[in-house]
Amino acid sequence: MPDIAGFIANFNTAVDFQEQRELSGGTLLADLPEWDSLAALGVIIMFDTEYGLTVTGNDLKKCTSVQDVFALVESKGK
Amino acid sequence: MGYAAIRNVRYRGLASCVPKNVVSNMDCAEQIKSERQRLVRNIGIEKRRICYPWQCFSDLAVAAAEKLLADLNWAPEEVDALVVVTQSPDYLIPATAIIIQDRLKLKTSIPAFDINLGCSGYPYGLYVLGSMMSSGHIKKGLVLIGDKCASLKDPLFSDCGTATALEYDPDAPVMHFDLNSDGSGYRAIMLPVGGHRRPTKFHHFIPEQGESGARLPVDLVLDGTAVLNFSITQVPPAVRRLCEAGAVAIGDVDYFVFHQANRMINETIRKKLGLVAEKTPSTLADFGNTSSASIPLTMTHRIRGELVTMPRRLLLCGFGIGLSWAGCILETEGICMPELLEV
Repeated sequence: MPDIAGFIANFNTAVDFQEQRELSGGTLLADLPEWDSLAALGVIIMFDTEYGLTVTGNDLKKCTSVQDVFALVESKGK
Repeated sequence: MGYAAIRNVRYRGLASCVPKNVVSNMDCAEQIKSERQRLVRNIGIEKRRICYPWQCFSDLAVAAAEKLLADLNWAPEEVDALVVVTQSPDYLIPATAIIIQDRLKLKTSIPAFDINLGCSGYPYGLYVLGSMMSSGHIKKGLVLIGDKCASLKDPLFSDCGTATALEYDPDAPVMHFDLNSDGSGYRAIMLPVGGHRRPTKFHHFIPEQGESGARLPVDLVLDGTAVLNFSITQVPPAVRRLCEAGAVAIGDVDYFVFHQANRMINETIRKKLGLVAEKTPSTLADFGNTSSASIPLTMTHRIRGELVTMPRRLLLCGFGIGLSWAGCILETEGICMPELLEV
């Protein structure tokens, strides 16, 4: 099972933040200005290449926090 | 079917033509510069070509075809078939290919018709014309491929028209094809208004609130996440399948010329196939996503020097709207290939 610290490092790269951000599982996606359609594409690629999982745009729309996105690693991996 | 082979048809020439009108994705207000830099960095598209208001796709394609015919020393009356692959016809009806038959002064005793395909269109165009020619009744054929799809409203699309010449030749190397369609994804890229299912009405020109801001109902709908998932899951296995069916080792392909979708999609496909960047030429930075023309445009702009002078084995792969995806393996030698044209 991947750890959330490693996941957050991947998430940081995938979203391509314009400024350095301190993220935790509790960080709300709505508080991230870069959480947009471009970020969704980056995160979908991250799931595919880092975890071998397919995540859809609808899966991401249901997420409200970084922890919710991380939880997809487990739920999609089942 | 999936796999198909075409024999007796030689890939003889290619010309590509873009509008002179260049737009930069970095031309924007200072306050959104940083946001735009992030966008350009990720999609990999800095500049695009946009038709002047009076230009159609057919104007680019005709310019390409005229130059190609001249360089091949083919008289117009020698051409036995004309296929046009576009989603930007001059008119809804009649077919653009028939209008171009007259513009190019081709004889009237030829088949000329349109194929409605986008990003996957180049391998399909070669397959359809090649199939028509392999029996030998048609000796020389042209396939004109491309679109006028650019707009100032989006940063992706760019305009281009191309002309490819095929010739009947019993000594030609076999062309290998892999052809696929999945209509369950038709909503991923579509113009929902303007066809017979939903004819254009006045209210379709009134902006409505979409998920990413105001849009007109007549505008293109593009579900980026669906297109991305489709591309990165379907294209790599299709490329492997094509190589296997054609008995061609991936390492024996000189260049993989992919449809130029955006940098995120193309880089993911490249990495999943384990290809080095040098084997996957790109025109995204300078020309953006030119729909069905992106493969021939990339051949012209990036590897023309080698294709003109030496034998090359190419794997071409288009994917996108439909959803539709197709690949082909071509062995070329001394292609007639004018430099990139601008009109």
